[in-house]
Amino acid sequence: MSTLLQVRNLSTYFYTQDGVVKAVQDVSYEVAKGETIALVGESGCGKTVSALSILRLIPEPPGKIVAGQVMFDGTDLLKLSKGEMQQIRGAKISMIFQEPMTSLNPVLTIGRQLTETLEFHQGMKRKDALNEAIGLSKLVGIPHAEHRVKDYPHHFSGGMRQRVMMAMAISCQPQLIIADEPTTAVDVTIQAQLLEMIRDITNTLGTSVILITHNLGIVARYAQRVYVMYAGRIVEQGPAQAIYHDPRHPYTIGLLASVPRLDEPRKVRLAPIEGQPPDLIFPPVGCSFCPRCSQANSSCQENGHELVEVAPGHFTACGVACKELRHGR
Amino acid sequence: MGDKTLIEIKNLKMYFPITSGLFLQKSIAAVKAIDDVSFSIRKGETLGLVGESGCGKTTVGKCILQLYRPTHGEVLFEGNNLCQLSNKQLRPLRQKLQVIFQDPYESLNPRFTAADIIGEPLKIHGIVRGREYRKRIEEVLDIVGLAPYMVNRYPHEFSGGQRQRLGIARALALQPSFIVCDEPISALDVSIQAQIINLLDDLQREFDITYLFISHDLSVVRHISNRVAVMYLGKLVEVADRDELYKAPLHPYTQALLSAVPIPDPAVEAQRSVIVLKGEVPSPINPPSGCVFHPRCYKAFEPCPTVVPQLEDIGDGHYVACHLYPTPQYEV
Repeated sequence: MSTLLQVRNLSTYFYTQDGVVKAVQDVSYEVAKGETIALVGESGCGKTVSALSILRLIPEPPGKIVAGQVMFDGTDLLKLSKGEMQQIRGAKISMIFQEPMTSLNPVLTIGRQLTETLEFHQGMKRKDALNEAIGLSKLVGIPHAEHRVKDYPHHFSGGMRQRVMMAMAISCQPQLIIADEPTTAVDVTIQAQLLEMIRDITNTLGTSVILITHNLGIVARYAQRVYVMYAGRIVEQGPAQAIYHDPRHPYTIGLLASVPRLDEPRKVRLAPIEGQPPDLIFPPVGCSFCPRCSQANSSCQENGHELVEVAPGHFTACGVACKELRHGR
Repeated sequence: MGDKTLIEIKNLKMYFPITSGLFLQKSIAAVKAIDDVSFSIRKGETLGLVGESGCGKTTVGKCILQLYRPTHGEVLFEGNNLCQLSNKQLRPLRQKLQVIFQDPYESLNPRFTAADIIGEPLKIHGIVRGREYRKRIEEVLDIVGLAPYMVNRYPHEFSGGQRQRLGIARALALQPSFIVCDEPISALDVSIQAQIINLLDDLQREFDITYLFISHDLSVVRHISNRVAVMYLGKLVEVADRDELYKAPLHPYTQALLSAVPIPDPAVEAQRSVIVLKGEVPSPINPPSGCVFHPRCYKAFEPCPTVVPQLEDIGDGHYVACHLYPTPQYEV
């Protein structure tokens, strides 16, 4: 499979009154054509910021992409002009935002919001665009689409709004869809409906997907490769199978152990990760997981950012895990 | 854990009127948030209450605590029907009935210090005075895993997990026998959730507290509950022991809910099939006729649109409200 998107050494900082928040530091990942990758991590670990950086949607100031490259189909998105960037957004890369309640414009009809992209990127006439919008709405499962395109977002339920977002995202048949916590605001049964639909549609169109979530179950079901983020950095990456069955980084291990699973016998006690995620203005020296890590030793405060390949395609940033490997586990 | 019933809810209904008119407000319809719900909670157990948003789980919790006065029905606690007591009569009982709210960012007064937050119920009920007051606060903080030097901090100085600990401390201060945990972990990060669940577990064992654990996360509910009740659109559809419910769910809605929970294991996921329900939860203003679930049900048959199924015991305390499982009396 050929590479569609390559993020190289991306760093995004926010300059606030309290100091510089290093939201994303030296993050690299890539997406092949037709592939679904997942960025997993807790709130504030930089998953959304890294995705917004790809589309250059970071509010500036206070944010700034301080370093890195985002290679998309051979061009560096970070070097494009504003106008050129607009030709990419929505047309070649589109985004499904987390909160369908706040990410739709409340004073425009659903139809208008759907046709805007079509008119802008594909030069469609208003009428054709509306027909296309109705077709898209039907595709994402909005009943009575002909009538509903005249409605406003507040007429729609949360799940339906997320379908509208989905229709918008696929309207120009982009090569890449960034889905930022697409189902966090909806219920389990609606979550299943939406995710199955995203998978079916992207499979048919051959679209690549970056799935951003904190739900490890969703990742297991939909992603082929996984990047685990912690405190602004990628701490482990690899094929989904490897991450779930042979996690190496203590954070990944801890995260998997801390969630109760429906398919396993009930544990008497959960194994939480003690402590709190660090303050990104003053991140810990060395490995940022070190203060919460049970495996940590003195060397962890000196190094532990470098991703080392522990198995084909499986990288981890833990010095201790890598050392074990050298000693032949 | 005994078989003694601590709280019994009988035919509970909570309708919220929808009014029209500017001065002469008249009721034109009602949101049937809870419609004829009956169940009991045994002493020392955790009853998990699951369902999707808007199904009425939070309203059930608030009705038990009499934060909403139910439209109809009884809430029996220690021989008292709470619904018939006046606010003044309720006050001494409120000590024993406490609540932990979902959002630790909104449920703590930002202008109160930790000491004020935990101390307020102590003052209101006049439990401890003078030096004892401070000591009790520090004691409770210690129980929930916060350090005594944090007593003078304001909520914004705590992290999300710590705030939820503070919410738990406030509920614990009065040494309650029953706590409604209303989605206590859904606003927290994954790695913090397990900390709070373990804390709730420890407290139950140490102080013999009974929980009503309201959540939409089925994996967490399985972990913490002894028995589980499933709600859909204001009605209970299934109640059973935890292991029974997760091993052999009977109601099609419970089956769909369980199959929709993704399991964090790609190998397992590849083998599983999801029951994807059609459509969305209907409006509780005008719920469907017969079984409220029938428009979305993939097993609906002839009686479902017309006959309301009753929640019946089909054996071993497994209750289900579905026409697929006729109780013996129908088979005559």
